[in-house]
Formats: sequence, C-alpha cells, structure tokens
Amino acid sequence: MRNLLNFLTRYNNLIVFLVLEGIALYIISTGNSYQNSRLLNAVKGVTRGIEQKIYNTSSYLSLREINERLAMQNVALKNRMEQMVRKENPVFFSVQDSVYKQEYQHTSGEVIDNSINRQKNFFTINKGELQGIKVDMAVISPDGVAGKIVGCSKDYSVAMSLLNIDFKLSARIKSNGYYGSLGWDGRDYRYAILSEIPQHVNVSIGDTIEATGFSAIFPEGILVGTVSDYVKVGGDFYKIRVSITTDFKKLHFVDVIGNMKKKEQLDLEKLFK
Amino acid sequence: MINTVFRFGLIFILLVLLQVLLFNNIQFSGYINPYVYIMFILLLPIEIPSWLLLILSFTIGMIIDFFSGSPGVHTFATVLSGFVRPYVIRVVSPKDGYESGSEPSMSNYGFRWFLSYTLLIVLIHHTSLFYLEVFRFTDFFRTLFRVILSTIFSVTFILLIEYYRRGKN
Repeated sequence: MRNLLNFLTRYNNLIVFLVLEGIALYIISTGNSYQNSRLLNAVKGVTRGIEQKIYNTSSYLSLREINERLAMQNVALKNRMEQMVRKENPVFFSVQDSVYKQEYQHTSGEVIDNSINRQKNFFTINKGELQGIKVDMAVISPDGVAGKIVGCSKDYSVAMSLLNIDFKLSARIKSNGYYGSLGWDGRDYRYAILSEIPQHVNVSIGDTIEATGFSAIFPEGILVGTVSDYVKVGGDFYKIRVSITTDFKKLHFVDVIGNMKKKEQLDLEKLFK
Repeated sequence: MINTVFRFGLIFILLVLLQVLLFNNIQFSGYINPYVYIMFILLLPIEIPSWLLLILSFTIGMIIDFFSGSPGVHTFATVLSGFVRPYVIRVVSPKDGYESGSEPSMSNYGFRWFLSYTLLIVLIHHTSLFYLEVFRFTDFFRTLFRVILSTIFSVTFILLIEYYRRGKN
C-alpha cells in the first residue's frame, strides 16, 4: 500500500498527463469522423484477417442453403417480370442536374393529339396521374420547351402548348443573362416573342434563348430558341422575335419534368409576397 | 497570489481572443497557421505545480478546439506541451540557474534564453498538432514543411508580443 502511494506521488504528473491525453484522444476519435474512421480501420485491420477466414469457411458450408434461396429469388423475379411486360411500362428516371443543382424527375411520354393552328393550342400526352404526372409540370421535346401540363386524368394528361397566347415563360438571353417574358403572339407557329429586354442590352441575331427556372416549372437552362430579329418598341424595350427550336408540327416524344423541390421554393416565396 | 491569478486570467482571455479572432483567420497559401495562444503555457510561473500546468494546458486547448472546430487536436498538443515544459526549462536553464518565484520572461532571462525556450515548445506543439490534424504520414514532408514554416511565424509573433510586454513592464 505504501509502495503504491509512493508510486502515485512520484508519478502523479505522468498519470495526469496520460489521463488528459487519453481524454483528448477520445475526443478526437469520437468528435471527428475522419480521424474516427482512420482509428477504427487501424483497429479493425488486426482482426479482419481472422474474420475473413471464419466467414469463408462458414459460407462454404452453407452453400446449399444459399443456392436454394437464390433459386427462390430467381423464380420470384421471373414472375414479377411476366407481370410487368404485360403492362405498359412508364420510364421513370431522376436526373441530378449538376450544373444548376436542381433535382427533377423525368417521365417520358408520347404526344397523341396536337394542334398548331389555333390561338390557344393544347396537346395530349399518353401518361397521367398513375404515372406520376401532375398539373404544372414542364413538358419538353428533345429540342427544347414544349409546354406545361394543365390537366390530368388517370392515364392521360393535357398540356398547354407554347403555341398558346396564355402561355408565359420566364426566359433569358444565354450569353448575357438578361431575362424577360416569353410568349406566343398567335401568328406563326415557328416564332415566339421575348419582351421586356432593356435596350442597353446587346442582342444579336442567333443568340440562344433559354428558360430561367424562376417559375419552378421549367428547369434552368432548357433551350427555347434563337433570336431571329428584333425591333425597338415603346420607350425602353426590345421586342425580340425568337425562332422556336421545337418543331410543333412533328412533336412526338416528349419528357415531362417534375420539379421535386417546387413546393419548397413556392412555400418559401409565399412568406414574402 | 490573487493578483497573479487575475493577471494570468487576463493573459488567458487576451491570447484566446487574439488567436480566435485574428490568427485563426491568417492562412498564407495553406501552409502557415500561426498559433500564438501557446504563449500562455510559456508564460506561467516556473514553479507552478505540474498537475496545474497540465490542467491549464488542457483547458486552453479545449477552448481553442471549441472555436476552431477541431475536436481534441489542439487539446492533445497543448497537454503535450504542458507536459514537456518542465523538462525544456531544465534543458535550457541559464548558467546561474533560476531565481525562485520568477516567471519565464524575456526581461528575466534575456532574449537568447527566451528564444530557445519558445522555439522548443512551439516546435513540439506544432509537430504534434499538424501531424494529428492530417492524421497520416503520406504527406510527411509537406506536413513537416508546414510545421517548420508555422513554427517560424508563431515564434516571431510570440517574440514580438513578449518584446512589447517587456517594454510595458
């Protein structure tokens, strides 16, 4: 006992030192995931070899059981497949748009009815609520903006075409970022009008026009068209005629795009309006 | 006694503020981070009990860790510095030894003594700190380069502060 006390008084510094360093190391290993994982790996490295051997042996012994389970899984999957090929299968995929950090869900669809010769044109798509289509989703063709969904049934949905005098889209000039309102003037199915671009902005024929993403319907950067010609109107603004890249006369395959973060954006914006 | 405690409390707070508000924001080209708060450990009286020195080192390390978002790393380095300080003091002792009840300052033992004392402890502190921070030896020489450069800067700043303090006294 006396020896122990002697020892303690003699080495009390060392003991305090070791305890405090122990606390520091403990904090390092728990508080910081990087250091934490490195330490764990170092510790695990010793036991891993043994664990691997045990696992190898036991898995060899239970091969028969594993085979049976795999065979059952195979049968189940085959049955699923049989059921699925009979259905019309919608193609869902989600795209991480890395350029603008927005997440959209795409659904492919086919246009089964379309018109271009009215003032208020609509087209119909062969996908509906059952395939996840909702009102106010964006519709794009492989070449650019096509319209937006205005109504859905179970298996079909109707979209307001870009060629509709009620259709308004926030669009910008890609080269300099100035944005304005884009709409159709009801005349030529190949041209739309971009207004509200101030006159000090440099516009040249052939400039690319793309969607801004402000409305939370269209993803940012979707192509709309190119500048065809422009005139000064009123006091300060240009009236730019945009040649639409989507050919509505042969619109067939389209993508319907749902903005998964739209509700978040609109709810936030509502607070300040 | 109370006076001493109060004075070191003030030094403690000033150094932590200086470190957190000023020196933590200095990062030249990713290589140099001066850590000046270690000066608190340097300045404590020579005859301070070792356990108290260790606990004070632990405390200042924890606080710096808290503000730097680096859990435990500074704590480890400061406790190590506090632990080796008595040995360093013994190693660099001047010819006629230390006066009892004195503080390790430049005005008491001269510039050369203070420089070697500071250099040794800062080097130990920075070495443990930087290697613990990267937690690997793959970039060994890059880390070593950082240790040396940062040590030079920290020592320079500590000497400047100490020089200014001596002028005050």
